[in-house]
Amino acid sequence: MSISGGAHPLPQRRPHWGPRLSHVNINVWRLLAFLIFLVVWWATAKLVGQNFVPTPWQTWQAAVQTIGDGTVPKAAWASIQVYISGFVLAALFAIPFGLLMGGFRVFGSTMEIYVDALAATPRVSFIPLIIVFLGLGYEAKIVVVFLGAVMPILINTYAGVLNSDGELIEMARSAGASESQIFRTIMLPGALPYIIAGLRVGASLALINTVVAELYTAVQGLGGLLSIYGNTFRMAPYFVVVFCLSIMGVTVMQSLKVVERRMARWRYNSDRS
Amino acid sequence: MSSPSTIKSLPASGAEEPAITIRNITKMFKRHKSHEGILALHDVSLDIGKNKFVSLVGPSGCGKTTLLRMLNGLIRPDEGEILVNGQPPAPGPHMGFVFQSFRLLPWRTVHENVAYPLQLNGMDKAEIHERVMRYLDMVGLRKFAESYPTELSGGMKQRVALARALVAEPDILLMDEPFAALDAQTREFMQFELMKIWHQRKAVVVFVTHSVDEAVLLSDEIVMLRPRPGQVSEILTVDLPHPRWDYDARARPEFVELRRHLWESIKEMVAADPQSEFFNREGKTERSAAED
Repeated sequence: MSISGGAHPLPQRRPHWGPRLSHVNINVWRLLAFLIFLVVWWATAKLVGQNFVPTPWQTWQAAVQTIGDGTVPKAAWASIQVYISGFVLAALFAIPFGLLMGGFRVFGSTMEIYVDALAATPRVSFIPLIIVFLGLGYEAKIVVVFLGAVMPILINTYAGVLNSDGELIEMARSAGASESQIFRTIMLPGALPYIIAGLRVGASLALINTVVAELYTAVQGLGGLLSIYGNTFRMAPYFVVVFCLSIMGVTVMQSLKVVERRMARWRYNSDRS
Repeated sequence: MSSPSTIKSLPASGAEEPAITIRNITKMFKRHKSHEGILALHDVSLDIGKNKFVSLVGPSGCGKTTLLRMLNGLIRPDEGEILVNGQPPAPGPHMGFVFQSFRLLPWRTVHENVAYPLQLNGMDKAEIHERVMRYLDMVGLRKFAESYPTELSGGMKQRVALARALVAEPDILLMDEPFAALDAQTREFMQFELMKIWHQRKAVVVFVTHSVDEAVLLSDEIVMLRPRPGQVSEILTVDLPHPRWDYDARARPEFVELRRHLWESIKEMVAADPQSEFFNREGKTERSAAED
């Protein structure tokens, strides 16, 4: 199980080069890295021509303009609605389904190969089918996002239940716990870190699928803007949209990290572990 | 095997009903691939009196842990009968179980871990809290009630596990090598801790250990088991006066003699066991070969 452990200090001494992490103000270094990024970006724009890559300043101007006239906020709101609806629906379906698969082993083993098969199929291949059934609107987009996010959440939930600690289960049984009590008090909390890791993967896939849905169905939202600006070679506003998507992704990832820390306080409370 | 008859004795059961009776139990574990089974226990009979501290010792593979799990009702014997207070054993709060690998729930605080068996039975919150604090006091961890297990040392974790086993006030406490994962010094402190708690709150204790020293120090009776198949080899009574933390019990000649006898017997069993990695490594091979 590898869940990124956040920023608590590791007791082991690793080989290191340069100044120690604990001795520097990391934000200063981060700002420096950003400045270097701007310089490289600017140099690239100058080198390949501003018709292909806009300069940072042109992008900034485009941002002020497209945000000011409401184009980008309107598109972002449409995308967020699709994104959140699809993702929440995926979580609401995948978590109970994964728990059922883990709780009832015959059901789990029966469904396992089909779940794996669906997870291995490129979900984009379903888009024409979805369009046939649901058209090009809001519903179709949500289904595309749902399909993109559902599998990692489901598979992780299932794995989390299957990986529950046999020793803790025996302890609970010897204390007189019923099977359903064992599920609720041992297997479910044990699976929680897996479920949250699945939600993180699902969230990033949901964002990808939001853009895919907006490109392939009715051209709308941020994905729609990408398509419009890209096709008309308006690269500065195009870059604005890309940054906007990146900010959306980072925001959701960070909030899930906060949820993870809240729910698994015991993981981060330890000095020794 | 002809055991030396020096200290052999029968369980000291008076007119009183034993708390646990084990009659002719046999348990076979089947291997999945080959069809031959392993006879973990064969025709074992044993009585354990009320409020007795009984240790099960013997070399690996003698079925000590299997027997303990059967007493808890986690597994059933193939043949024979076990009665705990006149009933077939069933897991539950009337029996406390302490495991070698503490088995605390990492996502629960110390308080919530100790409360676990009580919550299973739907006791009301105020009463749970009162009980949990009483038993945390007993193991000296009141101050750590809101800590998580990852913040505790090994000895503290096992004290939490002990409080959890005691919190439902069981009259039987089953302990499966509880101190084996602790360092030598913590282990000695835990032994004294357990003695004191046992004096405060009497119960039947069935204590599985690999350490003959620990068995002699803590027990009223020691049941020595023999491996392959697991059988009772000898039952010994420890006559050292209680409480044993008041004096240096380990220095008493009875202690030394008992420990020596147990250790010699186990050494002999291991050297004579063809399945053991120390088979024939003890120089007493002629005798054991003659016995086969």
